[in-house]
Amino acid sequence: MIQLQNIEKYYANKGLKSYILRHVSTTIQQGEFVSIMGPSGAGKSTLLNILGMLEEPTYGSYEFMGENVVSLNERKRIELYRNHIGFVFQAYHLIDEMTVAENIEAPLLYKKVGSAERKSRVAEMLDRFNMVAKKDLFPNQLSGGQQQLVGIARALAAQPLIILADEPTGNLQSAQALQIMDLFKKLNEEENITIIQVTHSEINAGYGTRILHLLDGVISEDIQVVV
Amino acid sequence: MFKLNLKITLRNLWRNKTSSLINISGLAIGLASCLMLMLYVSYERSYDNHGKDAGQVYKVMTNFLDINKRIESTGGLTGNMIGPALKEDYPAVKAMSRYEWGGPKLIANGTKSFKKSGRFADADILNVFDYTFVSGNQKTALNEPNNVIVTESTAKLLFGTTDVLNKTVRFENKISLKITGVVKDIPGNSSVYFDFLMPWSLYQTQFDWVKEPAWTNFNWSTVVKLDPSTDIAQFNKEIKGLMEKKRPDSRAFVFVYPFNKLHLNGTFVNGKSIGGKIEEVRLFMGLGIGILLIACVNFMNMATAKSERRAKEVGIKKTIGATRGSLISQFLMESLVLTFCSAIMAIVIIELALPLFNNLLGIELGVSYSNAQLWAGLISVVLLTGLIAGSYPAFYLSSFNPVQILRKKGGKSQGQLISLRQLLVIGQFSFAVILIIATTVIYEQIQYIKNRPVGYKVDELVEMEQDGDLFDKFEVLKAKLLQSGAIISMAQSSTSMTKDGSNFTGMEWKGSTDADKLFTFNQIATTYDFIKTTGVKLLEGREFSTQFASDTAAVMVSRSAVKRMNLVNPVGQIVVFHGEKRTIVGVFDDFIWGSPAQVDRPMVIGFFQGWGGTVIMRLNPANAPVANLALIEKITKEVNPAYPVEVNYVDRLYAGKLNAQRILGVLANLFGGLAIFISCLGLFGLAAFSAEQRTKEIGVRKVLGASVGSLMQLLSLSFLKMVMIAILIGIPIANYIMNGWLRNFEIHTTINWLIIFLVAASTLGIALITVSLQTYKAAKTNPVQALKYE
Repeated sequence: MIQLQNIEKYYANKGLKSYILRHVSTTIQQGEFVSIMGPSGAGKSTLLNILGMLEEPTYGSYEFMGENVVSLNERKRIELYRNHIGFVFQAYHLIDEMTVAENIEAPLLYKKVGSAERKSRVAEMLDRFNMVAKKDLFPNQLSGGQQQLVGIARALAAQPLIILADEPTGNLQSAQALQIMDLFKKLNEEENITIIQVTHSEINAGYGTRILHLLDGVISEDIQVVV
Repeated sequence: MFKLNLKITLRNLWRNKTSSLINISGLAIGLASCLMLMLYVSYERSYDNHGKDAGQVYKVMTNFLDINKRIESTGGLTGNMIGPALKEDYPAVKAMSRYEWGGPKLIANGTKSFKKSGRFADADILNVFDYTFVSGNQKTALNEPNNVIVTESTAKLLFGTTDVLNKTVRFENKISLKITGVVKDIPGNSSVYFDFLMPWSLYQTQFDWVKEPAWTNFNWSTVVKLDPSTDIAQFNKEIKGLMEKKRPDSRAFVFVYPFNKLHLNGTFVNGKSIGGKIEEVRLFMGLGIGILLIACVNFMNMATAKSERRAKEVGIKKTIGATRGSLISQFLMESLVLTFCSAIMAIVIIELALPLFNNLLGIELGVSYSNAQLWAGLISVVLLTGLIAGSYPAFYLSSFNPVQILRKKGGKSQGQLISLRQLLVIGQFSFAVILIIATTVIYEQIQYIKNRPVGYKVDELVEMEQDGDLFDKFEVLKAKLLQSGAIISMAQSSTSMTKDGSNFTGMEWKGSTDADKLFTFNQIATTYDFIKTTGVKLLEGREFSTQFASDTAAVMVSRSAVKRMNLVNPVGQIVVFHGEKRTIVGVFDDFIWGSPAQVDRPMVIGFFQGWGGTVIMRLNPANAPVANLALIEKITKEVNPAYPVEVNYVDRLYAGKLNAQRILGVLANLFGGLAIFISCLGLFGLAAFSAEQRTKEIGVRKVLGASVGSLMQLLSLSFLKMVMIAILIGIPIANYIMNGWLRNFEIHTTINWLIIFLVAASTLGIALITVSLQTYKAAKTNPVQALKYE
């Protein structure tokens, strides 16, 4: 599904190149649950951003579903966001002005899903995440864990093939974090959704099927998790 | 999507109440000002543009030539022969009418008598202008000399109903006229306004001098309706020689000018229109658009200032599949919703302010809500404003890169944006400073000419028109009034003390040349007690006196006339005045007769028994003015029962001359004030956001020991710098514009630098107060709160 070949990312500053990523090559198959780990500044988030096409690599090739997506134009990229990719952020990044239901509905609106189907999918999501009672609340009226659930529901609403999560539990208490991780695992196993997460936590990484260790921009280890 | 965006927009408006209010009210004031000025502009532009054939009506204008056959001046009046000649000889002329100036004339139904605007015109005028007849036959209504057409209001005033066809009214207490037509009221923006219209044939039977064929007695207006296919340039070429052919000594030629353009383009130089009132209209249009732009700038500034908050939303939306287009349309819709709210508020403001505005300008502007064109105009202004105001935030915000915003905190692109915002604020304040300086200069000029010595004693001086029997019974009235003690002196005068417009050429004196004969003097015709009554200062000699029988052939001349004629001992010298030899018996000091901002021509006051028009009286200071007036009214009514008595204070008439400047002053003041107010609203909002953005910085600084004063200084300085720059830009521009304006007046003040300094200081002061309100609040916050915020 994802094929990275020799991805490099550096910033040139006064003639000096400061590398964030070097020679990153890997392949991720449909249905994998990959955790990217490493110390601060290792380039984890940059790699995830490149995977999410939020950033362009300085060098290297990136194929997403068989299509070269390096320097893809905005229209096509947005097309991919609408149909295949869901994002989950550490800071949730819900739209403050929208209610829970509206937040979940938003990607469907952009995807131009019909009104009836939109309604049913939102209802399904609310149901699934036990948030029916909270659908008319605004994000700031929810706890962190609940906000992250909405964030995931929003990512799932458009029925993506892959979810990119940047420290999804970073701001959460451990009980809530476990709940989120269980959810990811379930999605991965039951719906075959590819999940790539950046995380600091060994426990979280344990939920996945594979761990990429990054150190100073280089993949130092690539471990398959044995269940 | 649309519905959701709308919902979010409204939620946003509600959530940020202060900034929404600032935005909406600022924009509403801007819109209201703009719309009001546009109403005025459209009122002026539709002047004389009524009826479907308005474009085919032309006024016959006269170009006057000097000895060298160059065009000296252009006037709108003609003799009474040119019109009929044009109608007869030129097939392109479909209809023609002469009309006189249409002053107040007496019309009565029994004892109900009123002085209303009555006009004499040719019967053909009904074919020139498109009057809407309520009753009567448009073709024949003015065919007989004793016919009269009245407007609906006049009919109601006289009879209480508009069903007045074939009823009889009394004209000037002399003749009975039959009402042969009732027309809808003439709009206020018509040059040929009337309350009742009478045929030229009646005019001729009333005044012998009107009957006499005249080519060069320029007393009347002439309008023609030309065939639509007429080539006007060619037509003007054809009629150019007409005057010279009929009267070789006339030194004038005629041309036609579109009637509906004359009102705005009435200034002619070299026989060509070079503008006129259109400049004022353009000024107001510029003012309206300027104020609206200031309000738009506010809107843009507030929106971009909020960008930090909105950036996150943009980033998220982009990652869940929003295109730039959908974001742009969302932001534009937000601004349109805001503009729409402002428009509603603007309509309320207009409804409240329009009566005041009308009162101020002395016109009748109204909003006719059933007018589709008005709505189309309003909607397009609102749409345009929304798009202009929303475009910058829309394009700017939607260009954010999601990863920058979402990953790093505060993905603001410094530098360029800030300078653009500053540029907008500088532009706003420059405009406001220009308007305020303009206001003060106009005010100063008005004060300057107001304080010019008038040259006679305006207090306790009153005038009334010499109507009906007041001509023949003048001496009777004078004796009775003097006896009553209401007045201490009274004189007859050919014109009002405050209205110039009577002048003559052909004066001869000792040593005068042929060229001197062409020099124009002002003239007043009077009998006895003119100087005693008015208080004009006598420099030499005496005024006309009953003790000298020879005074019926005497004149008095003004100081400047003596200078012009270069006379050494003027009193006793003989001059030729209106073809008669007359003796100068007195020299009086110049007084202001016309515009106080202009130098009047040298004046000659001649003795003429039968040439009256105005009765000037000096009230008895021993009595209360009200009692005096009541007595005057009572006695005058006894002498001249057919006419209503209307006595005017000369000082009020005099003050009325400054009306145009006063209006300009008030408008500049009003809109200048609004401009400052809207600009300050914007500054207030900007300061609030800037303080909010720097909450953390403020907190850190406070923890490090910064005082409230130093923090306020830090926060205010950048704004004050902008205002300072705006002042520096505004002053020279205002100086340039206002110097140009002042040059329009022969007598004018100079721009006072102290005042400009005061304007600058007060603008800065207002801006400082505005900003301080916000910065003080920000500087006083508890640092813990600020730091916890992150």
